[in-house]
Amino acid sequence: MAFFEVEDVTKRFGGLTALDSISMSVAEGEIRGVIGPNGAGKTTFFNVVSGLYKPTSGSIRFKDREIAGMRPSKIAALGLVRTFQRVALFEKFTVLENVNIARHLQAKETLTGAIFGTAAKRERDALQRAKEIIKFLRLDEVAEELTRNLAHGHQRVLNVAMALATEPKLLMLDEPVAGMNSTETLIMTDLIRKIRDEWGITILLVEHDMRTVMGLCETITVLDFGMKLAEGGPDEIRNNQDVIDAYLGADEFDAAS
Amino acid sequence: MPVPRVNPEIASALALLAVLCIAPFIVSEYRVGVLIIFFINVILVSSYRVVTTTGDWTLSHVIFLGVGAYATAIMAKNFGWPFWLTLPISGVATAAVAMMVAFPLLRTKGFGFFIGSFAIGEFIRHVWIKFHDPFGGPRGMISIPTVEIGEIDFYDSINFYFLTMIIMVVALGVIYRLDKSRIGNAWKTIYLDEDLAESIGIHVFHYRATAFAVAAFFAGIAGAMFAHLNGAIDPHNFEVDTMVYLVIWIVVGGNATFWGPIAGVSVMSFIFELSRPLAEWRPLLFGVILIIFLTVLPGGLEMIYEKVRSRFFGSRAGAG
Amino acid sequence: MDWGTIVQSLANAVVLGSIYAMVAVGLALAFGVMQMANFAHGEFFMLGAYVVYVLYALGGMPFPVAVIMAFPIVAAFGLATERLIFRPTRGNVLAGFMATAGAAFVLQVLVGQMWGVGLMRSVPTPYMGATDIAGAHISWQRLIIVPAMVVMVGGLRFFLHRVRLGKALRACAQDAEAARLQGINLNRITAVAMIISGGFAGVAGALMAPIAPVTPYMGHTFAITAFIVVIVGGMASIEGALLASFLLGFIHTFVTTYFDNVIATMVGVLFMAIVLIVKPSGLLGRARA
Repeated sequence: MAFFEVEDVTKRFGGLTALDSISMSVAEGEIRGVIGPNGAGKTTFFNVVSGLYKPTSGSIRFKDREIAGMRPSKIAALGLVRTFQRVALFEKFTVLENVNIARHLQAKETLTGAIFGTAAKRERDALQRAKEIIKFLRLDEVAEELTRNLAHGHQRVLNVAMALATEPKLLMLDEPVAGMNSTETLIMTDLIRKIRDEWGITILLVEHDMRTVMGLCETITVLDFGMKLAEGGPDEIRNNQDVIDAYLGADEFDAAS
Repeated sequence: MPVPRVNPEIASALALLAVLCIAPFIVSEYRVGVLIIFFINVILVSSYRVVTTTGDWTLSHVIFLGVGAYATAIMAKNFGWPFWLTLPISGVATAAVAMMVAFPLLRTKGFGFFIGSFAIGEFIRHVWIKFHDPFGGPRGMISIPTVEIGEIDFYDSINFYFLTMIIMVVALGVIYRLDKSRIGNAWKTIYLDEDLAESIGIHVFHYRATAFAVAAFFAGIAGAMFAHLNGAIDPHNFEVDTMVYLVIWIVVGGNATFWGPIAGVSVMSFIFELSRPLAEWRPLLFGVILIIFLTVLPGGLEMIYEKVRSRFFGSRAGAG
Repeated sequence: MDWGTIVQSLANAVVLGSIYAMVAVGLALAFGVMQMANFAHGEFFMLGAYVVYVLYALGGMPFPVAVIMAFPIVAAFGLATERLIFRPTRGNVLAGFMATAGAAFVLQVLVGQMWGVGLMRSVPTPYMGATDIAGAHISWQRLIIVPAMVVMVGGLRFFLHRVRLGKALRACAQDAEAARLQGINLNRITAVAMIISGGFAGVAGALMAPIAPVTPYMGHTFAITAFIVVIVGGMASIEGALLASFLLGFIHTFVTTYFDNVIATMVGVLFMAIVLIVKPSGLLGRARA
């Protein structure tokens, strides 16, 4: 059973082809990187896989289940969750409340349950697990803070915490270290590795920061103009002429190699 | 051993309730009638808040008041069913109508949803106008029987007052519990960041529909009481003008917390009574109030209260 | 279905469509330019009718002068609405819409208090008599609406496509942010849009004064119809509003002829609900980014 498989996925917006027959396969337990110059289609790819967009054609299979065109909440229920490139948080709620809200799928609250309070045990369990996740990601000091008071670095970790709260098997991180300084980046990289190593969650990562990608990912898929350009380990990709050409002039690539 | 803390909001509400229990014995019969209408409006505006929590402002809510009213009128008058049966069925019937309407309507959002809900509401209202059987056409329905429970005579204002008050308290209790629950939070997240909510497993369409149906259920309950109170209903009771008043209550009060709309309807009901001498100028006053609150005081009384409170007592963290 | 009834209904539908068009086009313009949804648009229509009532029926001015005067007078109300209501609520369509509901109440009360609420004011018909066109019998009073509409909509089209200020309005409707970056003064644009919107509604009401019962609440049904038209046509599209005006004019007239007025309203409203659900951007609207 292929853990996660994308076959000939194409996405067209009117006349623009954002994704052109992309195929790839991710094994369980991998940390896979998806990179490419700006406009290569990385975020579109995430949006199509996570259900925000419907693919124009192609197949997306997760744990042998066809998920192309499914709505995001259903895909999340199957164990495939993504974080957003932008800071996506529920304002006016605290960090702990945000993570607790993300326990939605596990808590399975019903109308009668809410009115009569019959699901008290499941709620306690949800809160408990939320606290565990917060501890795991070292957000405990800010657990009671409102999200608007958080530093940028903490906000991005919270994004990841919320995704983890859904108990995913495959976690898609969209530029998790964007806008972070080098210390924050190292912390996040560590956490990502921990998530895979200790909790066995497969990671699919879109990133611009080459150093992070090269250091973290075992396999890297390169996109350009909506097509798959290359795929392989960090050394292969670093020395791949097509990839170098695609990034020609881009500082980010020079800096990392 | 820690001393159990009573939620201050609930404590104040209970105090108010105690006052309301004494009120009918010390005020005039006219005022008792005014308070009964007020209770019905409180149920109506609190139910409206439920649907606005997800960000789905509708212009059809007063039509659901009507659906509940017509349902009760038909069941009580034409079938002779007792109150304990017609009340919940009115609520369920209204929720059912809402669900039928929700499936097409929830494909829209924002302004399109607002106007679409209005269009569907007007369609329903014209159904009442068009069909004499069973809705009584433009004249509506009259001679709706009074409530009968055991030996108690509910034609008596004070008895009906307490009946309405009890129903209001139960309705508010349910709405409050839902608001504070995971479901209530899910509704709020849909308003705050719909894509994020969907991505963490909250089925947005389902929750919007649930909010819509729950809101309609309680509007139907309010409608049932309305039908019994007036003894007669007609399509004019449920026109867009009434809907605008509903919007005024929630705008003035604010809809960030459960208590906002209740504060709004309380203040506006008070102003409504006080401004009786203004006669035909009254709608102008209400129009100006609506304009002022929307342009200058968008958070409503709630926000004013919060600003005053945080200036003097310091703000508190956590969601409303 | 005999031919005579069909022709008569067609003629009535064209007249009705022209009225709808005059009322709806302004609404579509205001919404297209800056998402200004005016609940009180019907009241602008009503004000135009009262201008004719006051100047022509009470004041003895010639009918055409009174109608022309309706434009600047009601346009001024449009401007006031933009300044006092739409500017503070810019960015929040619902807030602006509901605030104008408040304005509708205000206008209804003011007019009612000044000229009485009770019996409808009657405005004598300046153009008596009727004519027969291809077998359909139309009064002159109704007939003049059609060329009036053509002139006004034609003038608007000229303005929007050939006059610099008008082109700026179209630019704003396309992409307000880009327009602003190009140096277009958004406040000036929204003011002009509301001036035109108010003026058009006012003239429509003025022309209808001798035909429809003049009361402070006469704007109500017209406003609802105008919104139905604009939504069916595509909230921001003037061509859409025109198309929808005639489409709905036809539907309303024919359904009224063969059933009744109530069913016609139901059909109209249902049609709008269906369009909203199937194509939320309306018949000719573009889905906005």
